[in-house]
Amino acid sequence: MLVSPHSHKQDLNGVTVNPSRTARLAKVVALSSSIALLAAGCASGDSKDAAQPASADNPVSLTITTFGTQGLDPLYKQYEADNPGITIEATNIDTGGNALTDWKTKQAAGAGLPDVQAVEEGWLGQVMTVSDSFTDLNEYGAKDIAGDWVDWKVQQATDADGRTIGYGTDIGPMGLCYNSKLFKAAGLPSDREQVAELFGGADSTWDDFFSVGEDYVKKTDKAFYDQSGFVWNAMVNQLDEGYYKADGSLNIEGNTALRERWDQLSAAASKGLSSAQTQWDWGKGQAFVDGSFAVMPCPGWMLGNVKGQVEGAGGDASDGWDFADVFPGGAANWGGAFLTVPSTSKHPAEAAKLAQYLTNATSQATSFEEAGAFPSNIEAQKSKAVTGENDLTKFFNGAPIGEILSNRAEGVKAQYKGADDSVIQEQVFGPATIAIDKGTDGDTAWNTALSTLQELEIK
Amino acid sequence: MRRQHLRGRLDFKYSPYLYISPFFILFALVGLFPLIYTFVVSINDWDLLGGAGDWVGLKNYQAELASPLFWNSLFNTFSIFLLSAIPQLVVATFIAAMLDQNIRAKTFWRMSVLVPYVVTPVAVTLIFSTAFDEKYGLINNLLGALNLDTIAWKTDVFPSHMAIATMVNWRWTGYNALILLAAMQAVPRELHESAAIDGAGMIRRFFSITLPSIRPTMIFVIITATIGGLQIFTEPKLFNPSSSVPGGPDRQYQTTVLYLWDLAFNRGDFGRASAVAWMLFLIIIVIGVINFLISGTIASSSDKRGPRRIPGRKAKRIKSHPSGSLRESANDE
Repeated sequence: MLVSPHSHKQDLNGVTVNPSRTARLAKVVALSSSIALLAAGCASGDSKDAAQPASADNPVSLTITTFGTQGLDPLYKQYEADNPGITIEATNIDTGGNALTDWKTKQAAGAGLPDVQAVEEGWLGQVMTVSDSFTDLNEYGAKDIAGDWVDWKVQQATDADGRTIGYGTDIGPMGLCYNSKLFKAAGLPSDREQVAELFGGADSTWDDFFSVGEDYVKKTDKAFYDQSGFVWNAMVNQLDEGYYKADGSLNIEGNTALRERWDQLSAAASKGLSSAQTQWDWGKGQAFVDGSFAVMPCPGWMLGNVKGQVEGAGGDASDGWDFADVFPGGAANWGGAFLTVPSTSKHPAEAAKLAQYLTNATSQATSFEEAGAFPSNIEAQKSKAVTGENDLTKFFNGAPIGEILSNRAEGVKAQYKGADDSVIQEQVFGPATIAIDKGTDGDTAWNTALSTLQELEIK
Repeated sequence: MRRQHLRGRLDFKYSPYLYISPFFILFALVGLFPLIYTFVVSINDWDLLGGAGDWVGLKNYQAELASPLFWNSLFNTFSIFLLSAIPQLVVATFIAAMLDQNIRAKTFWRMSVLVPYVVTPVAVTLIFSTAFDEKYGLINNLLGALNLDTIAWKTDVFPSHMAIATMVNWRWTGYNALILLAAMQAVPRELHESAAIDGAGMIRRFFSITLPSIRPTMIFVIITATIGGLQIFTEPKLFNPSSSVPGGPDRQYQTTVLYLWDLAFNRGDFGRASAVAWMLFLIIIVIGVINFLISGTIASSSDKRGPRRIPGRKAKRIKSHPSGSLRESANDE
C-alpha cells in the first residue's frame, strides 16, 4: 500500500536500490506500527511471579469492579493495611444494569476483566452459561467455609459441575414497606405488628394483600402500591420454578401457577390498586411523599432506595414510611450479589483471598452499616451491627430492620435462573406489567407477552 | 554521493505517503477493520458471551428482514429523522437569513445559537426527559394548568417521536444555522444590490439569490443531518432510562441503532446485531447515493463554489461564466 514497485528506478540505480529501499520501507513500517501501537493503547504487562504470595517484597495490585452501593469501600483500606504488598484498585459502576453491560463487553472481548468481579443475582443465569471462565473457588477453600452462608446462596453460586464461582455478599429478602400515615388516614391499623397481622401474618397470601388493597382503594380513592412490575417480580421469584424449569426448559406457556398469579395481579391493577408509577423514577421521588401509593414490596437493599427517594423529594422520616415483617405468598428474595474471580486473573489465589475477606462475617456487617446490604453470612446476620439501630432504622420509624430481614430470609429457596431470565423479566413481562397498569386487560397483556416471547426468539 | 542522491529521490517520492499514513492507519484500525470484522460476525451464529458459533451465511440477515422488531426500529428511525430534519433545516435557514442581515451585536447572536450545541446530549436529554415526564413533567403540568388533555409523551408513538425530535432540533438547529450563515456570507453582495435596484424585495431575493447560491452547503447539511439522524442513539436511550426495554416498553421509540445495541448487549445475539449494523450501513449508503445524484442534477449552480478538481473547474469556467445564470434569474422581472 505504501510503496509500489517502480521498475524504471531499478534501471536507474542498479542493485543498491533494494537494500536501501527495504531499509526505508522498514522505517516507514516501524514508524507506522508505533503509531498504531499508540493508537491502540499500550498494554502493560505484570511481570510479577503469580505463584508467589504477595508480600512487601512482591507487591501485587488487585483490581475489583463493583456496582451500586455495596458498602465495600472502607474494607479495601483495611485489607491493604492488613496485607502488606497488596494494593486494591477499585472501580464502582453506578447501576447493576451498566455493570452487566460492562462485564458482558469485557467477557466477550476476553480482556479487561478485573481480578474480582461483582455479579448480580439477576444476571447469574447468563454468568452460568460461561461458568468455566470463572475460577472455581473450591480450589481456594470455599468448600470448607460453605456453612458460613445461607445454604441457598451457596447453591446459587454453584454450577452444574459443582464448581463454586462466587462468594455471596448481600441478599434481598423481601418485606413490605408501607406508609403508616396513609394507613391511619384510611382507617387501617398503622402499627408494624398489626399491619403484619392485617396482611395475614406468617401465612400471608396474595389474596390477603390484594383484598387489603381493594379496601384501601375504596376508602381513600387512591392507589395502593406503586406499580405492578415489582409485585410481579416478587410473585415470580418466590415460586419453586419461575420462567424456567429446573431442567433448564422454558416454563411460561401452560405454567398454571404463573398464570394464576398473573390473573390475580391484573385483576388488582384493573381495580385501581396500582399507581402506575415509572419504575426506578417515581417522579423523581415525588410519588413517595405525595400519597400516590401506600405499599411497596421491599427487598433489604430497597430500603436505602426508599430513603433516598423520599429525601430526594424533600421528605424525611416524618413522611411515615415503615417496614413490616410480612410478605404475601411466602418467603421471597430479590437480588443480592456475589464476588467472583474471572479466570483471566493473573493472581487467582490473592483475588480469591480478597473476595473471601470482603464477604466474611465482619466485612458483611460493615457493608450493612455502610449501605444497608443485608448479609448472606449467617453470623453477620446476627451481629450487633445488623440488628442494632442505624440511620435506616431511624428513617423507618425505628423498625428493627436487621431482625425483620433475618426473619424474611428464612424459607427462601434458590430458584433456577435460565440464561434469558433477565431478558424475559425486562423485555417480556416488563412491558406487560406496564400495560396492565395502564388499563389493558390481563388476557390481552398475557397474550402480548407470549407473542413478544416469540418475537424475541427465546427458547 | 550516489547514495545521498538516491536518498533524496526516495525521500521526495515516498515521504508524502509517510506523512499521510497516520490517517490511513488509524482509519484501517478503527474504521475499515471493524467494518470487515462486523461483516464476518454477521455471517456467523455469534453469541456475545459464547463467542463464534457456526457459519450461517446470510441467515442473520434473513431473520432480521423477517423480524417485526427490525422494521419497527426502521420506522421509528425514519419518523424521528423526518420530524427532526425538516423543521430543523427550515428553522436553521431562517435563523441564518436573519443573522445574515445587518444586525447589532452580531457575535452575541451567533454565539447564542451555538450554545445548545455545546451542551452535551446526555445533559440535554436528562433535562428534556424530565420536562416530558408524563405524571410530573413540566409540559404536562402546563397543559393541565390550561385545562388541556395531558399527552403520553413516553408511551404513545407519535408524541414520543415528537419529544425526541425536539431534543435533536434543540441541539442541531443552531449548528446548521451557522454553517448556512457562512455560506450565505459568501454570496456576492453585488447580486443582492443589483436585484434590489431592480426592485426585488427581501423575500424574492432570498428565494432567487440566497437559496440557489447556498445549495451545495445545503446539500452538505442535509447529508450530515441524514447520517446523524439515522444513527440516533443517545436521545432515545436516555429518554426513559429506567425503562426495562431500551426505547420504550413497547419499543415506541426504539431506533435502529438502539435496537442493534439491545440485540447485542441485552439479548446477546452478536451475529444478528452485526447484520443489523451492516444493513443500516447499506441504507445510509443508499441514501447518500440518492443525495449525491440529486446534487448532481443541480451541479450547474454548484460549480462556481469551488469543486475539488481544478482541471474540471477550468473547463467549466470556459463553458459558462460564473453567476451568469444567477444574474439572469435575478433580473427576470
